[in-house]
Amino acid sequence: MSNLVEIENLRVSFRNDEGGYNDAVRGVSLTLGREKLGIVGESGSGKSLTGRALLGVLPPYARVSVDRMSFDGIDLKSASPRLRRSLRGGRMGMILQDPKFSLNPVMTVGKQIVEAIRIGDRKVGAAEARTRAIAVLESVHIRDPERVLDLYPHELSGGMGQRVMIGMMVVREPDLLIADEPTSALDVTVRTQVLSILDELVTRRGMGLIFISHDLHLVSRFCDRVIVMYAGRIVESIEASRLSEAQHPYTQGLLSCLPQIDGSLEPLPVLNRQASWAEA
Amino acid sequence: MLEVHDLSVDFSGKIAVRNTGLTVQSGESFGLVGESGSGKSTILRTIMGLNRSWSGTIRIDGLDIRKTPRKQLARLVQMVFQDPYSSLHPRYVIGQQVAEPMRINGLPNPEKRTAELLEFVGLGGPRFQFRFPHELSGGQRQRVAIARALALSPKLLLLDEPTSALDVSIQAEILNLLNRLRKELGLTFVIVSHDLAVISYMCERLMVMRNAEPVETLTREQLRAREIADDYTRALIAAA
Repeated sequence: MSNLVEIENLRVSFRNDEGGYNDAVRGVSLTLGREKLGIVGESGSGKSLTGRALLGVLPPYARVSVDRMSFDGIDLKSASPRLRRSLRGGRMGMILQDPKFSLNPVMTVGKQIVEAIRIGDRKVGAAEARTRAIAVLESVHIRDPERVLDLYPHELSGGMGQRVMIGMMVVREPDLLIADEPTSALDVTVRTQVLSILDELVTRRGMGLIFISHDLHLVSRFCDRVIVMYAGRIVESIEASRLSEAQHPYTQGLLSCLPQIDGSLEPLPVLNRQASWAEA
Repeated sequence: MLEVHDLSVDFSGKIAVRNTGLTVQSGESFGLVGESGSGKSTILRTIMGLNRSWSGTIRIDGLDIRKTPRKQLARLVQMVFQDPYSSLHPRYVIGQQVAEPMRINGLPNPEKRTAELLEFVGLGGPRFQFRFPHELSGGQRQRVAIARALALSPKLLLLDEPTSALDVSIQAEILNLLNRLRKELGLTFVIVSHDLAVISYMCERLMVMRNAEPVETLTREQLRAREIADDYTRALIAAA
């Protein structure tokens, strides 16, 4: 199986007050097939930046360097902004954390989905686009999609908003989906639904998925493979099913610091951060 | 310590809490679990006096909160909010924020006590007092919010999702801190969370809520033995 995504030695840095640069991502290399890859880490570990660098949506003041970055055989390092823009939306999609901030508040949901469809293919007529929008809302398990199409984002609950976002992203059938904390703003019960929808779509359409999260347990249940990031580097890459055998003390620390319903009532173990983790 | 009877809250016609009652013993830690919109945070805010229109009775330490002056209540009960990014004043230094309730209530020596409180929540050393909230991490800010809630030595602490805005590794530190404080200061907790694992770890009893109404009340032992009467609670456990 050829790799859908290959990244070699990605670095992202931002200018600091002293005029130098602070490295936020430091030499990340990864490959992705048509599988579910989880990237886990705390805030500031560089996991979201890695996803955004792949899409090419970092702010212009970020300094990005990479030895090699390719998507389905297309060299992204030398690709023109025009080519990269044509890939976004159509072949690579992104789901963001909070539907409240990522849907347009003054446009109905239907208009936004129809817009996404017609930007991708201008030959699609209005009526057909609407039919497709209804179909995609059905595929993300929204009841009564015709009513929902005419609602504004503030009229949706969090879980519904997130499903609309997912629908909007998959309607163009991208090959790669980057989901950046897609369930962090949701309740546990809704979270399970949204995850099973994502799983269904990825499996059925054979997409590659990069699932960015800070929740190690969630990722291990959902993904095939997990990459653990700390301070801008990958500290461990492991099959999700073998997460309990993780070697790195940071991964082990992340696993053990979570309370369990049936867990011990002793003080929770906290991470003793070691300077060597950031170097390794 | 806390008695709530027949509490109903509505927001311009929409019912947020319906006929809910709960009692919390002194020194106990009580959890409220449920999905967003189930009314759990509304109960906390009503106990704290942040909602105007409600019916029923609420007693804290035997005092009816409708008949007790605000300042007296403030010394009995304090609240810690979910998001430490928005619950601290952006243009006050940390020391000022923690000292503010003591100044308002005319307590002696606010400066000295502020230093002690910050030390107590693990932000010791003189440097923290003069920092602004934006100079601190999320976990440090939540510690400041806890220190401020403790400034008037309340007996009851209301915690609204105290760790859900934090990373898991920081969550462990804050939960440990809260448990230590409860033991050392003999506090009573009411904790709202959507995370059953957190509630099971922190609370001796818990109430599950759904659609503005209580589903059932369980002890930690019942939860852990899965002696559960309601299917909704089972679904919550399965999803956790």
